[in-house]
Amino acid sequence: METVITVNGQRHTVAADDRLTLGELLRDHLDLTGTKMACGEGTCGTCTVLLDDRPVLSCLTLVAACDGRSVRTVEGRSPLLEDLRAAFAATDGLQCGYCTPGQLMSAVALLEQNPSPTTEEVVTAMSGNLCRCGAYAGIIEAVERVAVR
Amino acid sequence: MARLVRTEAVVEGRTEIRYTLVEDDDTPEWEPGERPPLIGEPAARVSAGPRTAGTARFTTDIVLPGMLEAAILRSPHPNARLTGLDVEAALAVDGVRAAIGPADSPGGEESAVLTDSPGYAGAPVAAVAADSRAALRAGLAALQPRYETAGFVVDLDEALSRQDLFSDPSEYERGDVESGFADSAATVEATHNMPAQLHSALEPHCAVVDWRPDGVTVWCSTQSIYGIRDDVAGAFDLDPERVRVISEFVGGAFGAKFGSGAVVPLAAELSRRSGRPVRLVLSRREEQTTTGYRTPASITLKVGASADGTLQAIEGEGAIGLGSDGWTYPIMEPAKSVYACPNVHTIVVPLRQNLGPAAAFRAPGVMEGTFALEGTLDELAEQLGIDPLELRRRNHSENDPATGRPYTSKRLLECYDRAAELAGWEGRDRLRSDGRIRRGMGCASQFWWGGGGPPAYAEVRIGKRARATVTVGLQDLGTGVQTACAIVAAERLGVPVESITVRAGDTALAGHGPFSGGSMTMASIVPAVRAAGHKVRQQILQLAGDMFEIGADDLTLENGEIRSVDGALVHPITEVTGQLGNAWVTGSGSRGPNPDGMAVNTWGCQIATVAVDTATGELRVEKVVAVHDVGRIINSMGARSQVAGGVLQGVGFALMEERVVDPNTGLVVNANLEDYKMPTIADMPEIVCDFVGEPDPHLAVGVKGLGEPPIIPTTAAIANAFAHATGVRLRETPFSPRRILEALG
Amino acid sequence: MSPARTYARPESADEAGRMLENGGRAMGGGTDLLPQIDRGIAAPDMLVDLRGLDLAGIDHDGHGVRLGALTPVAEVARHQHLADRYTALAQAAGLVASPQLREMGTVGGNLCQQPRCWFFRHPDLQCWLRGGDTCYAQVGDHRKHGLEPGDCISVAPSDLAAALLALDASAVSNRRPAFPLADLYRRPEPDDRRTVMLEPGEFLTAVEMPAPPDASAYARAGERAAWTFALAGVAAARFGDRVRLAAIGVANVPRLLDPADPLAGLPGLEMTRWKRRLLSALVDDALSSL
Repeated sequence: METVITVNGQRHTVAADDRLTLGELLRDHLDLTGTKMACGEGTCGTCTVLLDDRPVLSCLTLVAACDGRSVRTVEGRSPLLEDLRAAFAATDGLQCGYCTPGQLMSAVALLEQNPSPTTEEVVTAMSGNLCRCGAYAGIIEAVERVAVR
Repeated sequence: MARLVRTEAVVEGRTEIRYTLVEDDDTPEWEPGERPPLIGEPAARVSAGPRTAGTARFTTDIVLPGMLEAAILRSPHPNARLTGLDVEAALAVDGVRAAIGPADSPGGEESAVLTDSPGYAGAPVAAVAADSRAALRAGLAALQPRYETAGFVVDLDEALSRQDLFSDPSEYERGDVESGFADSAATVEATHNMPAQLHSALEPHCAVVDWRPDGVTVWCSTQSIYGIRDDVAGAFDLDPERVRVISEFVGGAFGAKFGSGAVVPLAAELSRRSGRPVRLVLSRREEQTTTGYRTPASITLKVGASADGTLQAIEGEGAIGLGSDGWTYPIMEPAKSVYACPNVHTIVVPLRQNLGPAAAFRAPGVMEGTFALEGTLDELAEQLGIDPLELRRRNHSENDPATGRPYTSKRLLECYDRAAELAGWEGRDRLRSDGRIRRGMGCASQFWWGGGGPPAYAEVRIGKRARATVTVGLQDLGTGVQTACAIVAAERLGVPVESITVRAGDTALAGHGPFSGGSMTMASIVPAVRAAGHKVRQQILQLAGDMFEIGADDLTLENGEIRSVDGALVHPITEVTGQLGNAWVTGSGSRGPNPDGMAVNTWGCQIATVAVDTATGELRVEKVVAVHDVGRIINSMGARSQVAGGVLQGVGFALMEERVVDPNTGLVVNANLEDYKMPTIADMPEIVCDFVGEPDPHLAVGVKGLGEPPIIPTTAAIANAFAHATGVRLRETPFSPRRILEALG
Repeated sequence: MSPARTYARPESADEAGRMLENGGRAMGGGTDLLPQIDRGIAAPDMLVDLRGLDLAGIDHDGHGVRLGALTPVAEVARHQHLADRYTALAQAAGLVASPQLREMGTVGGNLCQQPRCWFFRHPDLQCWLRGGDTCYAQVGDHRKHGLEPGDCISVAPSDLAAALLALDASAVSNRRPAFPLADLYRRPEPDDRRTVMLEPGEFLTAVEMPAPPDASAYARAGERAAWTFALAGVAAARFGDRVRLAAIGVANVPRLLDPADPLAGLPGLEMTRWKRRLLSALVDDALSSL
């Protein structure tokens, strides 16, 4: 099955195996390894990307179901993403960094929809992204720094 | 000149004697009270750029031309004998390039990785490497293993009743506990139970091995690149110099990524056989069942004290479940070493179970033992009517109670005072109420080692633009140790932290470094970096003296400038380094030994505030005040992050984390991140962190480690806070709604 | 890494129905089905993606609400009219799984999801519900299971089901006009172990709610503060002097409770008696929010 999918603004026509997940496409075929895999079954949020602006888990998204859709990953460029990166660094919102790309994409999704979230809204929006190192305080602070006050 | 020096190092409670190569070092220690620039200031981690840009290459991201994907066939049975395996059929599958069974296992007979008598569900039986994931699946399916199953034991109590010991019991005794109890006005006996906690690092264990005739290159997510190098060289009889191990970024480890496990030797053997690079990444389920765990433990302590709370005796019996491998983690160390108690007798029984191997997990043993000891002491304080914090103060020990050795430094009393002040301990009874939501506050002490020691080496070089590179032979798990290296080098070189590049995670680089663990890394490596940086500093000053015709001793280097002591001469450092062309000024440094005859420990106190919904059994940790004494702080922001991470893992252990094993099938039933709960961002308490922070006067740079300390007292403080709130003791983790509702009765 | 599967995105309900009759499995967000396939619990010949059928959307007028079966759960959670008038549903939707799973998961998928029982979902076991001989939970660790004895003691997991049941919702399928939501569920029986009662070729197309209640609320408890399936969840809705009360996490099916005696018929099992206290507290919480 042929799927046309836009990734970070670039159109790709993929002759996708039906079983191929978006995460596999990104990592194994498009060399976009910024998106990490940690559980492969939708439980940890590590592989979060934006699909038509909404945060989804790339391990549970079939490429075949993405025909005509647009994907953004941590490798994408946007002023908001840049600001979040700088803020994560400044607040130490990361330790090992393995969950960070997914955290950033959830944060982008939140702030695009809701540029001035309350702390509670930040916590809710980020609650599907596990961080085993426990960098959560810095993550909240980083998102709040970038939010419009 | 370098010397061989005999040293004694304490690694997670085990004392190791070794000889180590130490370079001459005339780096002056800072004066007491001196506040050197940059040291202790908050600094962003040096690798934040690639880690936030998605360009950091973790082992799971490594792709090599012609690389094969590999996977492991594992026993579904907790105890079985393999009666059939069709390796030939797997090899006949299109796209399969290598397949091996127990007969071909790396590791030899002694430590074969693949087994024909799997002793736990998940034990590796065979491995396959193939061109594609489809071929890999087909290859694994073609193996058609057959098993004869046998009986098994997974339950800790059952293992205890069968007395299937992994090794001899570990016993400790000082004084005479019988007479101690006879002298006691009050005694408390309590049993604390805890299930296994799974490390659950988000990057699974993984390796990429490229075996070539002229050498083997291993990419691996590991806590010890040199450990992996030695393992591979040993297993395959190779010259270690021909084995290169690369681990640039590690996606969390927490103790589970020591040793080469199954992934490294299997990927190596499959690469050797296929002539192709091989990548082997574990699935989440494999990660949660085969790569280690904090041992389940049952700890019974009996403590006796006189009426004023002075401890007279501690008697302890403990059992831990090591599954199929591990060592006797020091669960009785807190009972033995935290407080001044003349009479102590403990025994620990390490048990074998049909479960995967145990592994060190952040403060292995000591965290479990602290939950037991601090919970029991809290009961004692209650019985004696003594403020719990005061009881701990009264049993403060000025010297190591086990050896009588003096401490290099100990500021535990200050930790108590500061924590009490930050938490509002004096007003804690005002939190209590009879309503549905009950609040309470509890405290616990923290003890750990963390002095580090040799061997650790570093190289520093500076180039024409006064930008410097620090090279260290270690790996960064996210602890921030590389950032600390940058800070310490920047201070010596008088340049900003941002102008330092840290290179690490590659055995082909200069500078053999320590493993990352035991809270030893920072204290081990930082003095070596400082010594190397100092040598470069001295050379720069010498060159400046040559250029400006002034004695080097009359020059200093700070804020990017070379100045004469009298202030008459000021030149940017680049005026000197600019003359280097493409040469560098380099220096190397090494870690010297710690003082003999002294105990090196870290200390702390945490105070937790909890809110219990007595109707639903939901427990919320509202706040944890964490005050630790870990010597000099190099990066205040990084240090706080370490504390927050440790506390959060402690909250996870206390409230929700539990490996659940079905006794009927021997299977772990929650080997995934849906059923195995760990804290989300919404579970994070407010964490108030402080350090009493004075440099350790007996240690180089005054630094001690901070990896384990923050996780150690958290569970105990939470349990004690729960008791303060409800009057009911929780002696078994996790404190889930079920357990709380059952406890409240 | 999943076993082979083929994928189809039918453009009409008839086409979808035919595919489902021929070995296909209906898929919405795929968040329940794909992990089941990876674990070897489900092995459909074909994934029938219903997202091409224009079944997403929330329509409301003064008389009720129609939720398309393919509406993402997140849209239910953030819908202002639902939050105002069908509060229990919006609250329940906001507590489903994680933010990403709410974006991906659909109303129909959430209602039709399989039990979260750790034995049912274990790749190396074939429990009674999956056609085997043994309910491993009965003889093993069933701390999170149901309060009703039975051949299978797994519990209905759908937060939305509790809320919709309390709100007196009906389900609509491609083969049936509106029918009571409760009829979608059944306790499994030895000769038919389904818990979700859809016939071959049938799939949910919508859920309909009658005029809004005077008030409604959802209360639940989990194992952590976010991203957890409910240990138990209770929805309450008041229509005039009548209260409808429904619970999940306590029985094979989402269960209507008698407001006068909510624990009736829920004795608890050896390891689940604690849940009676929890259920009782959640009932109080839900009722006191009305």
